[in-house]
Amino acid sequence: MKISVQWWLRVGVVLALPGFLAGCASVKPWDRDLLAESRMRFNPCPMLHSIDEHIYFSKEASMGGQSAAGGGCGCN
Amino acid sequence: MQLETPGTSAGTTSALRERLGKAALALLLVPASAGAADSGAKTQIDYTTLLYGEQGRAQVVEPILRATRLFSDGQSFSLQLGFDSITGASPSGALPSGSFQSRTSPSGRVTTLKAGEIPTTSFSDRRTGLDAEWQKPFGGRFTTTIGAHASTEKDYDSLGVNGKVSVDLMQHLLTVSVGAGYSDDSVSPVGGTPLGLSDGSVVTHGANAKRVSSALLGISRVLSRRWLVGIDVTRFEEKGYLTEPYKVISLVDQVTGFPLDQVTDKRPSTRSRTSVLFSSVYHLTDDVVYASYRYYTDSWKVRSTTSEVSYRHDLDESRYFEPHARFYQQNAASFFTPGLVLGQDLPQFATADQRLGRLTTYTIGATYAFPLFDLPGLWTVRADYIRQEGVGNPPSAVGVQQNFNLAPAVNTTSLVVGYSFKF
Repeated sequence: MKISVQWWLRVGVVLALPGFLAGCASVKPWDRDLLAESRMRFNPCPMLHSIDEHIYFSKEASMGGQSAAGGGCGCN
Repeated sequence: MQLETPGTSAGTTSALRERLGKAALALLLVPASAGAADSGAKTQIDYTTLLYGEQGRAQVVEPILRATRLFSDGQSFSLQLGFDSITGASPSGALPSGSFQSRTSPSGRVTTLKAGEIPTTSFSDRRTGLDAEWQKPFGGRFTTTIGAHASTEKDYDSLGVNGKVSVDLMQHLLTVSVGAGYSDDSVSPVGGTPLGLSDGSVVTHGANAKRVSSALLGISRVLSRRWLVGIDVTRFEEKGYLTEPYKVISLVDQVTGFPLDQVTDKRPSTRSRTSVLFSSVYHLTDDVVYASYRYYTDSWKVRSTTSEVSYRHDLDESRYFEPHARFYQQNAASFFTPGLVLGQDLPQFATADQRLGRLTTYTIGATYAFPLFDLPGLWTVRADYIRQEGVGNPPSAVGVQQNFNLAPAVNTTSLVVGYSFKF
């Protein structure tokens, strides 16, 4: 049986999800000083991120990330 | 749980006070993973200009201006205006002619093409885009985001909306987001829309519809005081005119490999795309490490993986340096072919567009942010080097084409200069 990367990915997500959702870590509100920093975000510079998405969308066949916005450019 | 780090008593008290101060700010944040306005800020202006240049190919200049109004109740509203100017050349999809050629334009300009040179098509276009976004927290744990965009260029118009609802669970340690989007685009090729897989002589005039609907499911999770992770799954459904009207495919002699004719590109009218993105942000003692991995698959049988990492080092309170790297790999779409053999039956769909072929992209770059003189806010300069490699000697190449590099690497440099301030 040929096992694809996609299959491994699904298995990984299924195995990781319960721990990811429940987790054993409990970070109290007074312990979130580092998390409160503006740089502790997935995309601290949204405009640079948006430029990157545009560049790679025009050069590659893939798209998708953290936004549901699609379309909008005839570059590819 | 340990609240204090080892140190002297006075230092510990001071550090604790500072942490409690930041914690008070953290309590005011809606989701731990979401950004928020600095206290007192009402309006934020962000301006960037992209200068992008492919070696011997396309050149882009793209200034973008964004204004964000931040309200005291946590709402924000932003408007973004962008303008692209694109000039240069891109591969037409045709194979090298196999012999030296010279052409004389109507103005008398003579251009030459070497035997193994990839034919390109010159182009020039301008795009203007307007984006709006409204974000509103409600009920203590929900945040809604509604966005819209409109853009126009010579042969492409787009109008779209998108929305997202996020809910914070487990005392803001877990954020679940659900979103959707819809874009109504129209493609109006210059000179008309050629019939797919034809010699291009028959065209239809008018706009071709292209509709993109999308859905998003995202989960972000605080794993520790220093670590935030996320999983985002997106699905895009595209329907309508998805063909590249300006690309062609060479028809070659099955023995010599010389291109004798060509046909236009033709792609399916539907495409389903799925991506799964894993993201991580980790706070070291002083610096922050960002890492992500994306797996992508679509109904055209393109599979890709994207890995990105960046490392932010704050030089002082207002300056930082952030090197980054990106590695991307994709396989070819099921109907990608470098060329077709003259005399054989044409397939149902075919493209020679290298962007749908097997390729690898390497990116390396760095960002430097700094204040300038006594101006408020922050300046940002980012420089990137991008190298894209395809398959230069595909097994399907015949005759003279085996002597040429059919997908020469494309080197690109990009520079982004940005300025942000609040008042």
